[in-house]
Amino acid sequence: MLWKLSLTGIKSRFKDYLVLFSGLTFASAIFYMFMSIATNSTFLKGSIAIAFKITQLVFGFGIALLAIITFVYIVYANSFLLSMRQKDYGMYMMLGARTSKIGALIFLETLVVGLFATILGTAIGIGLTQLVSQLLINQLGLQIHKFIGFYIPALLWTLVFFAALFFLAALWNRHKLVKSNVIDLLHENQKPVKLRHNPVWKFIEAILGLGLLAVGYWAMANYKVLLTNSIGIGFFTIVIGSYFVFDSFFTAIVNLLRKNKNFEYKKLHSFTLGQLKFRLGDYTRILSIVSLLFALALGAITVGLNFNNMTEQALESTYYDAVLYQESPSVKKQLKKVSVKSETTLDYKLVENKKEKIPQILYIPENEITDKKLKFQHFYMDKNGQQSYSTKTFNVKDLKDENSDRGHEMRYQLASLTPYPDAQVKVVSQDQYNQLKAKNQYVKLLLVNNFRSNFANIEKLQKMSVKQMVGQPEVESKSIEVSLTNSKSASYRFISSIASGFEFMGFFLGLAFLAMLASTLMFKVLSGANSDKPRYNMLWKMGARKSLLKSSIAKEIGVLFALPAVLGVIDVLFGLQFFKSILKNPYDKIWIPFAIFGVLYVIYYILTVVLYQGIVLKKENN
Amino acid sequence: MTEVVKVQDITKTYGKKGQKQYQALKGISFDVQRGEFVGIMGASGSGKTTLLNILSTLDQPTSGKVLINNRDITTLNKNQMADFRGQEIGFIFQDFNLLDNLTNRENIALPLSLQNVKASQIKPKVEKIAERLGIDQILDKYPAEISGGQKQRVASARALVHEPAILYGDEPTGALDSKSATELLETMKDLNENDKVSILMVTHDPYSASYAQRILFIKDGKIGNELKKENKSREEFYQEIIAELGRR
Ligand SMILES: Nc1ncnc2c1ncn2[C@@H]1O[C@H](COP(=O)(O)OP(=O)(O)O)[C@@H](O)[C@H]1O
Ligand SMILES: [Mg+2]
Repeated sequence: MLWKLSLTGIKSRFKDYLVLFSGLTFASAIFYMFMSIATNSTFLKGSIAIAFKITQLVFGFGIALLAIITFVYIVYANSFLLSMRQKDYGMYMMLGARTSKIGALIFLETLVVGLFATILGTAIGIGLTQLVSQLLINQLGLQIHKFIGFYIPALLWTLVFFAALFFLAALWNRHKLVKSNVIDLLHENQKPVKLRHNPVWKFIEAILGLGLLAVGYWAMANYKVLLTNSIGIGFFTIVIGSYFVFDSFFTAIVNLLRKNKNFEYKKLHSFTLGQLKFRLGDYTRILSIVSLLFALALGAITVGLNFNNMTEQALESTYYDAVLYQESPSVKKQLKKVSVKSETTLDYKLVENKKEKIPQILYIPENEITDKKLKFQHFYMDKNGQQSYSTKTFNVKDLKDENSDRGHEMRYQLASLTPYPDAQVKVVSQDQYNQLKAKNQYVKLLLVNNFRSNFANIEKLQKMSVKQMVGQPEVESKSIEVSLTNSKSASYRFISSIASGFEFMGFFLGLAFLAMLASTLMFKVLSGANSDKPRYNMLWKMGARKSLLKSSIAKEIGVLFALPAVLGVIDVLFGLQFFKSILKNPYDKIWIPFAIFGVLYVIYYILTVVLYQGIVLKKENN
Repeated sequence: MTEVVKVQDITKTYGKKGQKQYQALKGISFDVQRGEFVGIMGASGSGKTTLLNILSTLDQPTSGKVLINNRDITTLNKNQMADFRGQEIGFIFQDFNLLDNLTNRENIALPLSLQNVKASQIKPKVEKIAERLGIDQILDKYPAEISGGQKQRVASARALVHEPAILYGDEPTGALDSKSATELLETMKDLNENDKVSILMVTHDPYSASYAQRILFIKDGKIGNELKKENKSREEFYQEIIAELGRR
């Protein structure tokens, strides 16, 4: 009998259950995706060994954070479930159902809903992993090995983790229902609200909060002095500072607005402010958590996308886009697929003398240098300690200077253009050059249009040309290997495979966090919806138009969404200072990650508002 | 004398066509004159709340007309209905229906804010009606901090602050102890006699009903007998009501 009642209870609130269920499904899907990418070694193998350790570290950190968020999320989702069922179960108890029976019922209900959601979520997670990784890899043009979405260890971890969480949640719900008495269950909504206010303490708290945030931001900006301490200091002060700010500062603003009677006595402002006033007390903790997660997620995406700039640096490190040693028919054919901006040749002769310390001597005629204005990228450290490049032109005077650094650099750079980077460079007059008894050789130096978009073809061209050169019987292949790694396409591939790993991680981490934090906030808001029902019904009876009620809801939830977002954005803007140690300009193109993030966050906001309105406002038939 | 409320042959059927239907009101007609205090009495389930909901545009009749201040409220659209409620109707409910997250002052001010009354005019209006109802000392408390009797006074102040055409009460004393109930009824009587507030109160309690000038009895969705107080004392009227109830 009770089972039937319970089922009809679920049926009558099917829509609310659907929200809850899809939320839980979503959480487990995200968790699975993350686990599968974090633990899947084929993905990690895709990134290069140096990045491997950092990757593991970042993902380890990510898993810990995600587990915590998921826990908080389940707590709120669960309180949403309880808030829906409280009254029904109170009613059954009043009708004489035994407490132990009700306890068993809610225990099973929680567990069943949770486990079904987890299983479905994991299945969706497998599909999503496949899809998202593919999408990210393609969209971002990442150089990552493909991997399969289905991965057993991740599957097991997800199932175990969620089963444990739901078991705890079920125990908690049973405890809560069995321990509280019937009257409380029936009148949960009408609990009188207690207000404690000590303006002096609130004032001190507000000052303290702002002060702590300032210290935290200062610590992030001064990583050069504080070194790794800045993370510790920043984390500690920003966490506590955020809490204090939410607990005092924003309540103070609401109170200030309430004092402004022109504002307060306008339409439903007084009601919205009243709602916020009581909400903020209840929301302090979650708003601080959400603001921090917001900062972490947005930061992860911003920094992740910024790693793309590393490839920019790779492009700057070499002047010529491709160097051709031979022009066999196949190389010529490949060359047609590349859009060439300009090409120059460099003549040289190689003389070998096995007795010398440096056995190979590279002779280059002076005219080649003076006429062709060949260029190279000069490496230096700028005043911020950042690696930088500037373009310089070869000249005969420096090339002949045996003692200056500049001379050394130029000779090295010139040799690097040929297949013999270890050879000794000698610039000679045309006459002397002509008398040398060696075969005249040349390299063709190319500049192309759109290196990035044309990369596949350029890399292929470079490889073919090198291979052709290695194929020559008279050439020592050893020296040619070196010249391939010196090429622009090789360094681009090397850097971009590292950067891609970071980019992918940052993006994925950021999106996963965003999804979790926004749904956590969503459920926190929705679990208050049931107790708001009579309030909105009352306002409606008093003559508030439905459109007004809707906009009041949108405003109230808007504030709850905006507050952590604003603080989170400020956190990120200051936090990026810290990344100046790794990234050249962490603020570069910052609007892109901010826009992506903003759009997704707004979608969550709208979803919450619509769901909330659906629960709170009754339908006007007509 | 003019009518504030004119009810013409309204019926109300619950339930959609083809499903189980229940006719809660079966053709009801009556008037309330300006400045009158009318009581509607009936047993639980006789259709009192249904009637009051229709008279206040919270619900629509299946057929019939309701004129308030000569305006047919059954032809209004949703927004017009909301505006109409906000301007012309004051409502007190059995369970107070105060907003617990607003102070009493803010609760009372709400109907005025909804009508875009200027903030500078709101304060004196709220304080005037609060003084009239003897709640000026508790204006800055929250509803959770005051007694049931005080809550109903705050609710009354909120129902009257915008000077509606009519004050409706749906069992307004239902949740009060007898002392608070008597105080509230005395206040309503006083408002009616001295401030010319038109009142329509539904109740199943003969004691409450005895404060009205005229009583309509509703039974099974139809209006039956009518009693007038005229020059009788309240106690005499009360006895008459008891006798009338006994006759059925
Ligand atoms: N929304 C509704 N749907 C179906 N029947 C209703 C609804 N509201 C009230 N009723 C029925 O209409 C009758 C009158 O109800 P109501 O007006 O609340 O009576 P009263 O207020 O006099 O106690 C009752 O039999 C009740 O069950
Ligand atoms: Mg009723």
